[in-house]
Amino acid sequence: MKDLEGWKKVLTDQDRAKKYREYITGWEKKIGSLLEWKLPEPGKYRDDGSPLSAVPFAVKDNIAVEGFKLTCGSKILEYVKAPYTATGVKNLQDSGAWVMGKTNLDEFGMGSSTDNSALQKTNNPYDTSRVAGGSSGGSAAAVAAGIVPFALGTDTGGSVRQPAGFCGIYGLKPTYGVVSRYGLTAYASSLEVCGVCARTVDTTRSVFHAMRGLDEMDQTTIDFETVSSGVKTVGVLKVEDGSLSAEVAASYETSIARLKKLGYEVREISIPAMDYVVPAYYTIATAEASANLARFNGMRYGLSPIFAESPEDLMRYSRNMGFGEEVKTRILLGTFVLRSGFQDQYYVRAQKIRTLIRQELDEIFAECDVIMLPLFPTAPFHHGQSELTSFQQKQADVYTCLANMTGSPGLAVPSSLEKGLPVGVQFMAPPCGEERLFSVAEELEKVFPAPRPAGYSEEWRS
Amino acid sequence: MGDVLVNDKYETFVGLEIHIHLLTESKMFCGCKANYGDEPNTNVCPVCLGYPGVLPTVNERAMEMGYVVARALNCRLSRKTYFERKNYFYPDMPKNYQISQFQEPVGVEGYMDFEFGDEIKRIRIHDVHLEEDAGKMIHAGDMSLQDFNRAGYPLLEIVTEPDLKSGEETEAFLRAFRRTVRYLGVCDGNMDEGSMKCDANISINLPGAGLGTKVELKNMNSPRFVRRGLQYEAQRQASVLDEGGKLIQETRLWNENRDITESMRTKEMANDYRYFPEPDMPPFCPDDAFMAAVEEAQVELPLTRKHKLMRKYSLSSEQAEFIHDEKGNADYFERVLALGAEAQSVYTWLSSDVQKELNLLNMTLTRSPLSAERFAELLRLMEEGQISGKIAKQVLIDVFEENEDPSRIVEKKGLSQISDPAAIARIIDKVLGENEQVVQAVREGEQKQKGFLVGQIMKETGGRAAPALVQKILSEKLS
Amino acid sequence: MKKEELLTTASLALLELEEGEVERLGEEVARMLDYFEMMTKLDVDGLEPTTHAFQKTNRLRADVLNNNNNNNNTNNSFNRPLIMENGNDVEDDFFVIPNVL
Repeated sequence: MKDLEGWKKVLTDQDRAKKYREYITGWEKKIGSLLEWKLPEPGKYRDDGSPLSAVPFAVKDNIAVEGFKLTCGSKILEYVKAPYTATGVKNLQDSGAWVMGKTNLDEFGMGSSTDNSALQKTNNPYDTSRVAGGSSGGSAAAVAAGIVPFALGTDTGGSVRQPAGFCGIYGLKPTYGVVSRYGLTAYASSLEVCGVCARTVDTTRSVFHAMRGLDEMDQTTIDFETVSSGVKTVGVLKVEDGSLSAEVAASYETSIARLKKLGYEVREISIPAMDYVVPAYYTIATAEASANLARFNGMRYGLSPIFAESPEDLMRYSRNMGFGEEVKTRILLGTFVLRSGFQDQYYVRAQKIRTLIRQELDEIFAECDVIMLPLFPTAPFHHGQSELTSFQQKQADVYTCLANMTGSPGLAVPSSLEKGLPVGVQFMAPPCGEERLFSVAEELEKVFPAPRPAGYSEEWRS
Repeated sequence: MGDVLVNDKYETFVGLEIHIHLLTESKMFCGCKANYGDEPNTNVCPVCLGYPGVLPTVNERAMEMGYVVARALNCRLSRKTYFERKNYFYPDMPKNYQISQFQEPVGVEGYMDFEFGDEIKRIRIHDVHLEEDAGKMIHAGDMSLQDFNRAGYPLLEIVTEPDLKSGEETEAFLRAFRRTVRYLGVCDGNMDEGSMKCDANISINLPGAGLGTKVELKNMNSPRFVRRGLQYEAQRQASVLDEGGKLIQETRLWNENRDITESMRTKEMANDYRYFPEPDMPPFCPDDAFMAAVEEAQVELPLTRKHKLMRKYSLSSEQAEFIHDEKGNADYFERVLALGAEAQSVYTWLSSDVQKELNLLNMTLTRSPLSAERFAELLRLMEEGQISGKIAKQVLIDVFEENEDPSRIVEKKGLSQISDPAAIARIIDKVLGENEQVVQAVREGEQKQKGFLVGQIMKETGGRAAPALVQKILSEKLS
Repeated sequence: MKKEELLTTASLALLELEEGEVERLGEEVARMLDYFEMMTKLDVDGLEPTTHAFQKTNRLRADVLNNNNNNNNTNNSFNRPLIMENGNDVEDDFFVIPNVL
């Protein structure tokens, strides 16, 4: 854990804590990655010598951490305090790590830019006029800026990997069920998982192993039966001309060339059901979301009107005031695809397509140890919808949501800087194949480590 | 109130949806205490309050009880059961979906037999499924107070086919059903406390024409109200049809103060529950060990038990009805008999003196100081002539009051019968000596006065003198 | 999608769309539904729906009281006072909401 050593004194050493505070403040003015943050009283926190002890980290604000709010980037939960701590976070705290803050996100994790946060704007550390990606944009930006060595995100359709790519860092979406979802505010329960944004592969691996584990509070958690970690064959998805921007296409070629140079057997692959991935993914995700977000009704906690004539009015007003338009759109869509008369046509069909996609991936993994595919069709785009409409942003989930549909692990790896902007690439492995991902990523890291944005400094912690 | 005669023209169809609260320690999907009556919002946690990020976890015991009931109701048991989300907004339901079962409930297509008059009737069971209860609202003027202690309480819903033919029959079925779940130990069956609830659907039609327009009936808090609600509703529907009117499909509430059903007249909200499999919990596939435990938990069901009691111990139907009502009582009855007592005598005591004492002390037999062993001992003391029937009644009361063995009470209080003729003769001599005038009168032919002397003798012995001996020796002395 | 369908859907989701929202959200929902139509091109006969990512073993929770950290192996602790503090209107430990009048 060499790369974490330098971090250990920022919480324990008074002098460094002061510099750390200034560093955070400076970056936050530019990127707005954190919704809330605090440092322990100097001297109060001790390093017990274990690898993650006294290491600060940030947590996406749709993951519960007692002592912080749990806003999910939404007005409806803006003032709600988390009365408990997510299991994954708890596991890291038990390893000695310190939650220093909560990061911004697209409201309830719904988006690819963090622009859908109702509370704050988050900018890309490489160019503040551009987005950091999403929905875990705050976590990715904070890590890229050197505010924390790692941060937790959640990945429902690419929400850890895509912003990690946009910010030039590593982003792991673990195998479904390997990391507990207890404490992760549900968007699409059968697809999502807590993931890791980190500066190095080594940190990503350590955090992953520290946070994972069977959880009695989450009956969908599974035993981590790791598959062999050796990687010889890399399947590379053949991408049709024109579907990637010039920058991303160039970066993709760079990574392919690197793999070959490193001696991997590169094999071109195709996934016939790929065309159906996004419609099926959004059908399932929004269907589950429509039920998951029904609990937010202004009762028990959360935004509610000062006056309402009936319980139903109270619920309706709260939801109308509390949810943003993207969230409402997805709730409507999800409600519709589950309605009687439409359910077979949409929801059930999507679940069958999911089965087909899994079958196709199984076949590929019988031949390849890992596969490589793009993360996102474009480099970090500008704020607003001028470059990519909301609909296009959804279609662009095609490469990432694949892993959510199959439950497989996926890792975003920095690939190159194109015109000063980071572009990443993605690797996928069969279920519980995280070590394969780390193995390839480590080889690539030696050739191209995570880049650093202007203003990045390690001086204050050395 | 007897059954009101429903217009003979129509056939009545009643189906039930019965909800029972399962007797578990913890809630259906979290570790909170499953107990009501506690201070508001004390048995709650982020899970049952529907906080963001929480997940449900299935209660093993509730799952087991679900299968036990389904098995007892002769259902086809699911080899892969799973939960689904039933989506609708309701202020007391924290998640605004209820975790329930739909496509694959624990059991389907069962039946239950019960006695109605002299007949054995068979009611088909559509399905048995597990779900969670909602919280509770207390209405106070223009506001409502929410208590979520009950939210997440494990519920088992039993849905019958519309096979019941009248309110009276439905009441009989409900009582038999209640007895069954109590026998199985899965629910206390208290309808007035809400641990068992019953909604009914009722329709009438001309014979042979099949089901009519279905009306849902709610708010009936006892088997008696269920009967009366259904009787009222069948008549109301008959009148509507007789007058050439048309019935509408609606939900009506039983108003127990006015003895009528009333339309709920709620705002027409589109209802579409949009069931889909609960992604937060994997399906459950019972293995052999689980199924063995379900078999192990089966008990002799009430109806079988009743018939066995009649056959084996020559009880009448009424007697067996009384004994088998509670499983504990039937077990108790059989245990006392196994200890050597005689069935008719046990029945007589249980239904009169013992029952009187239990009522007085507001106790149940199985939790009373009168254990089967003590009861058998009491009857034996009496049979062996150690105590008289009258003393036995006193000893019974003492057992309840002092929580002691009958033999110990008899010994402690010196209650055993005096059956030594010499001792009785001595006492008689004493009494005769003290009542010379009465003795004189008896000897002159006033036989009525003899009773007075017997009374005095019994008083002198504290009722312990063997009555037959007293009669015999007294007659000898007076002649 | 017809406006009527959108409004029925909104009512099921307890969303009352304001003016402008009906058009904007309706358009976006319609665009997505059109996009979903693509799924009908695929032959899905013989495919079982996948409802859970990995469904390997039975998971049941023992029926014991397990609430607020009486079991050190389980992450079940929570801050009870915060639960009341998060309530919008709390009286005598009840959550207060308007009554149906």
